[in-house]
Amino acid sequence: MLKHELLVVGGGLAGLAAAVEGKERGLDVALVSKLHPVRSHSGAAQGGINAVLDESENCHDDSPERHAYDTIMGSDFLADQDAVKIMCDEAPNVIIEMEHAGCPFSRTGDGRIARKAFGCTDYARTCFGGSKTGHHLLQTLFGQAVKYQLTMYTEWVVTRLVVSGGRCHGVVCFDIESGEFVPIAATATMFATGGSGQVYSTNTTNALTSTGLGISLAYRAGVPIKDLEFVQFHPTGLYPSSILVTESCRGEGGQLINNMGERFMKNYVSEKVMELGPRDIVARSVQTEINAGRGFDNAFVHLDLRHLGEKKILEQLPGIRKLCITYAGIDPVFKPIPVWPSQHYTMGGIDTNEKTETEIIGFYAAGECACVSVHGANRLGGNSLLETIVFGRIGGSAIADYVPNADAPVESKLADAVRQEQSRFNQLVKGSGKENPYRIRDELSFVMMEKVGIFRNKQDMAMACARIKELKDHFSHIRPIQTNKSFNYDFLWVTEIEGNLDAAQIIAESALAREESRGAHFRTDFPTRLDDSWLKHTICEYTPDGPKLDYKPVKLGIFEPEERKY
Amino acid sequence: MNLTLRVWRQKNAQEKGRLETYQAHDINENMSFLEMLDVVNEDLIKKGVEPIHFDHDCREGICGACSLVINGIPHGGKKGCTTCELRMRNFKDGDTITVEPFRAKAFPVVRDLMVDRSALDRVIQAGGFVSINTGGAPDANAIPIRKDIADQAMDFAACIGCGACVAACKNASAMLFVSAKVSHLSLLPQGKVEREQRVRKMVAQMDIEGFGNCTNYYECEAVCPKEISIKSIARMNREFMRALVK
Repeated sequence: MLKHELLVVGGGLAGLAAAVEGKERGLDVALVSKLHPVRSHSGAAQGGINAVLDESENCHDDSPERHAYDTIMGSDFLADQDAVKIMCDEAPNVIIEMEHAGCPFSRTGDGRIARKAFGCTDYARTCFGGSKTGHHLLQTLFGQAVKYQLTMYTEWVVTRLVVSGGRCHGVVCFDIESGEFVPIAATATMFATGGSGQVYSTNTTNALTSTGLGISLAYRAGVPIKDLEFVQFHPTGLYPSSILVTESCRGEGGQLINNMGERFMKNYVSEKVMELGPRDIVARSVQTEINAGRGFDNAFVHLDLRHLGEKKILEQLPGIRKLCITYAGIDPVFKPIPVWPSQHYTMGGIDTNEKTETEIIGFYAAGECACVSVHGANRLGGNSLLETIVFGRIGGSAIADYVPNADAPVESKLADAVRQEQSRFNQLVKGSGKENPYRIRDELSFVMMEKVGIFRNKQDMAMACARIKELKDHFSHIRPIQTNKSFNYDFLWVTEIEGNLDAAQIIAESALAREESRGAHFRTDFPTRLDDSWLKHTICEYTPDGPKLDYKPVKLGIFEPEERKY
Repeated sequence: MNLTLRVWRQKNAQEKGRLETYQAHDINENMSFLEMLDVVNEDLIKKGVEPIHFDHDCREGICGACSLVINGIPHGGKKGCTTCELRMRNFKDGDTITVEPFRAKAFPVVRDLMVDRSALDRVIQAGGFVSINTGGAPDANAIPIRKDIADQAMDFAACIGCGACVAACKNASAMLFVSAKVSHLSLLPQGKVEREQRVRKMVAQMDIEGFGNCTNYYECEAVCPKEISIKSIARMNREFMRALVK
């Protein structure tokens, strides 16, 4: 049986950072990924990575404390402040390490790492590599991983997390090419499996791979899931493909305009902030305009860059220009970009502490699949790339401390799990009904977008919860799946769809229970933040009868909660 | 629009492949080429035919997974585009389109249109990174780099590792891929320290993997979805000569 000290699941930035750290600390590390690592969705991140660097231009009074304050304010005070402090303190080291490893960052005229302004801060502290920051960081970390001759099992999909007696023993993978279930025993397992954007597949900026399967596998194995109701909608997804139009457009001065030609953000936030408000508020403002009939085709608003001029657009936003020409057939030099709010980021996830440890011994999580929590109820632009590398490394390091004294994984538990997966496969092949799994997926996405989207209320969400239960029931009666073993994408999609259903149910149930508005979770029936009763994390646990909700306190201690005003 | 597709089907690297003909009906001109294949696959699944296997993920031109040769041109011939960025409006109703995998000795077919590109990873593993650990120290500072140099390095670092350059080359050479990495790192001060051994090792690995040599066909530059300049190859040749005389 394959056996490793550290098994990382997911080859994006968080996974590679954990694997590299593990290697540097002398562990026997392997990485499983359903995609080749450089194909991971981290590579699609355009905007940048936040860090307060010493020589910040025009920002001499910026500091990691201010970065932490902006992050916590942005999170609507739901973030755990100890974790935020760690992230912001570590940020400059991450940039310097990546730079020294050869990551190309954009530069100022005098050769320093350039910074630009993102939302929710008075300071330009977002470092970037053109409009491909994620790509450059991913390639750099991949280079570091192969430098250490990291063992990689690529195009293997983890379909089960093996937990027994409060301990994690490893995973069962499905090797796409051979079609075999392969167990991997591990002293420590780390999930870095990404977000669950595909739950909103009709309108998400996320790639097809970001299904939330990792979150669902952990949930099924008894790991608590935290704050999954907080779903970020990015204000500017390209209409109608939902491809991301980066926040940098607004950072450079792009304006949001409704069908009356009005720069409408002035009606929602202060004149000073305008389009650079927090993503949740800007997304709600855009949706409010569309709902009030002030959008175009009742579906989108305009993001206007024309006043920036051709020179600036070509120099600062060439990637965005190309993307608009390719996907929307318009050139932003001459025409405004049609945009609508699109699902973008999963703030919640697998409940971890600031060392990426979960409640299960030997099981860790980092990156978008995890909830440390540094983003709380709303994430700031430029903080997600930062989180992946900071907590990936911290996780690798925590595991290196854990492994020497840990018990070996029990191989018989894995052998049992392989048999269970094999029998699940056989059941699916036999089939028990006629339901089309892909129709279930489409309907789930439609329900989530309609009822558990940007604006929420009790009636809608109760309907969504009931409908998800029905869809789960339909799922237990799907038509037989394809029988081939090798390249059985039908089996993989059915597995992903089962995960989608879990993730959607956790989101909807957690959101229905939270009777307040905070960050990205906005309820028309409870439109204010209620700290007395709701300044706490939602903790959701699996039971055979459905999700069981509980709560735990937010770690404060640095900044007292105050009203969030922009 | 309605189209006729001639698609390469191959069970694995050992078995022989063949072109099969399929019809694509009611294709919307705004679809991407991959969405068109999704529609064809849905139809095949309904008919009980094994769907066409192809690599894909982000569908926004950054992950480098898609790898189709369309009418003989990797990624279909639209300047600066990956297959997923190619729209069906570039075709006409009634067209016959031939779809094949990226072909090269170093890229064995895994299945249908999917190829194994791990040879590129092994070339990177041979030296496509910075191994001198200068980071991490608390007093370490960012290295000043002239903006024009940084911009140049970033253009070379745009490579997404799709392998179209290899598929387009008559010699199945990976020179554009390797030279992009070599050029990116040798331009930056942090990459200069190991420049001689890097280029030597990467070129050696490139030969071991069975990639051919560059004989200046310029096909690689023409198909590169990130429009990486062939100047990188000249730069790598200089780096290589420099390493040999050192």
